[in-house]
Amino acid sequence: MTTTHDIVDAVVIGTGAGGAPLLARLARAGLRVVALEAGRHWNPKLDFATDERAQDKLFWNDERLSAGQDALAFGNNNSGTGVGGSTLHYTAYTPRAQPDDLRIRTEFGVGEDWPIDFADLASYYEEVEQFLGVSGPSPYPWGPTRNRGYALGPLPVNGAGQLMERGCRTLGIRTSPAANAALSVGYYQEGVGHRPGCTNRGFCQAGCTVGAKASMDVTYIPLAIHYGAEVRPECFVTQLVRNASGRISEVVYIRNGQEERQRCHNVFLCAGAIETPRLLLLNGIGNSSGQVGRNLMAHTALQLWGEFDEDIRPYKGIPGAIISEDTHRPTNADFVGGYLLQSIGVMPVTYLSQMARGRGLWGSALKQAASAYNHVAGINILGDCLPYEHNYLELSDETDSRGLPKPRIFFSNGESEERMTAHADQLMRQIWDAAGARNVWTFPRNAHIIGTCRMGNDPDTAVVNADGRSFDIPNLYISDNSTFPSALSVNPALTIMSLALRTADKFLTSQRRTA
Amino acid sequence: MSHPANTVRSLLQTDLVTAPTREALNGRLNAPPRRPTFFSADEFALLQAVCDRLVPQEGREPSQRIDIASGIDLRLSENKSNGWRYDDMPPDGEAYRLGLRGFDESAQAWFGQSFRDLSPEQQDEVLTAVQALEAPGSTWDILPADHFFEELLAEAVENYYSHPLAQEEIGYVGMADAPGWQRIGLNNLEDREKQTDASA
Repeated sequence: MTTTHDIVDAVVIGTGAGGAPLLARLARAGLRVVALEAGRHWNPKLDFATDERAQDKLFWNDERLSAGQDALAFGNNNSGTGVGGSTLHYTAYTPRAQPDDLRIRTEFGVGEDWPIDFADLASYYEEVEQFLGVSGPSPYPWGPTRNRGYALGPLPVNGAGQLMERGCRTLGIRTSPAANAALSVGYYQEGVGHRPGCTNRGFCQAGCTVGAKASMDVTYIPLAIHYGAEVRPECFVTQLVRNASGRISEVVYIRNGQEERQRCHNVFLCAGAIETPRLLLLNGIGNSSGQVGRNLMAHTALQLWGEFDEDIRPYKGIPGAIISEDTHRPTNADFVGGYLLQSIGVMPVTYLSQMARGRGLWGSALKQAASAYNHVAGINILGDCLPYEHNYLELSDETDSRGLPKPRIFFSNGESEERMTAHADQLMRQIWDAAGARNVWTFPRNAHIIGTCRMGNDPDTAVVNADGRSFDIPNLYISDNSTFPSALSVNPALTIMSLALRTADKFLTSQRRTA
Repeated sequence: MSHPANTVRSLLQTDLVTAPTREALNGRLNAPPRRPTFFSADEFALLQAVCDRLVPQEGREPSQRIDIASGIDLRLSENKSNGWRYDDMPPDGEAYRLGLRGFDESAQAWFGQSFRDLSPEQQDEVLTAVQALEAPGSTWDILPADHFFEELLAEAVENYYSHPLAQEEIGYVGMADAPGWQRIGLNNLEDREKQTDASA
């Protein structure tokens, strides 16, 4: 027999960077809210090992089909599952977007502008940074002057970071300790409690065991629960049921192999830029624009690795210790937008697996390169990406273990992304040469799936409006990286959280107006 | 560069490793030998021969050999995925069966023998050709050889370097992080890291 749960004000689908902040905001306003999360609710201290293989339980490992010239890797790249979503394994790199990131079309005549201003985001950036306890430099060297510095001073710099500082100093490129959502000292927040400072474990991408990293499960989720929200893990949503007036009246999900139904007044879809459009396409809703699954973007994210004489031990310290945004709008650019530079530490299996894929080394060559692991350091970029007709998500004919069609994702970099990557390749080689690297090699990749349900002012070209509300279904909101009209030249997590709070506030305002 | 043996194994006996970490690594260290449940005996022996060339374990005691192929067999038996696959590839299990057939087909075409009967040098020639999309055989008309080789190699490497003995081989002691790390800069080692300093 199907269990049907009593009606609630809002169902939030997904508990990552898009869902968790919004859940807390709605709960604080006194709404009855339930979050449905496909994955488990972990206890990091007891459940997380300092072992990459053991931690692959944090990845969304239902198979996706990757097509196109630059087929995207999922699993440990670009996905997450469990209460906290992919913030469970993000590196916690939390730079702000810059104002011109939101006006790509105005500046370059291609791509898309955001329907909101930077000023709409800035106060939310500040709020999220203070709540999470972001550690970073104040003042921050790039972007507009801020009302308030980071909550905490920067985290200590590891070997890769020192090498990036050394190489960039030689070339006259400015660097700074990066903003990271991991605590440089213990931090207390009302409704959350005390979280200890970072122990420099360096395993952020395999889950933080101490609670220093601001994943959602130790920040906005406890806050939401404090204000009365219910978080229901291991619930996989399959259907959004509409009533005669076209509003979603029930969310259907599978828990322990059984179907359950949650009646609701409103739905917030926060499942990430793959599962959000997939669920809409599976249900055939919210797509009068034809844009669901379209405009898929992925940051240019070329990594460059080298071996050094120094003992580096790349498993220690916050992986992304040092940043430069001097490449935000390079003067000699022949591409759209810009990128940031970041020093990177790396866990051994991730590094060696990438080396197998990227360099194709095997036999004694592999063994030799692997033996240099303790002397390896990297830098990478994170850069803007344009939306193209040829990059999109569709439902395939192949079904998964749940009997649902697997998503197929097409991705090929365009000319702008290729030029940006070539620019960065050259620059990073110079930096690593200046720092003293040998055996330099690059790993081409794209990171962060963005923009499959974009926001805009025109219902013909966008899926949701500037408040995140569906043009087709008045009680459906989307809050995750799928709504970004452009990819930005920074990691998306901080912007996803900030936008989530803004969406929650816009919703609450509209409720008060109609009440 | 070689690193002293036993580093990880002795660290696992100490409080420098957390309980969940110890459990994960000891599980791998003490995994009993298993019979293949996905591959046939012949397929499995062929896969082992291929893995021996991709990640050589010469000089390792037979009792300490890391069973890369078993990890692949176990994953396929459980129908587990790493979250994605190239769209031009068949499902993982089918790809492995086809690819193994392809190695034998290429070996026969060039040397008139099955892959397992080739010399190590001949085996390497076949593997090099598969990786470079230059191997003979009709299997490679239906299975993209470069993508298959990449997936096989990545999985073999991940299985191998997840093992404590392979981690000893590269001087990795990052699992011993229970007290955290205070010395994180260049050439700045904790005591427990110094024993793996190859230059020391």
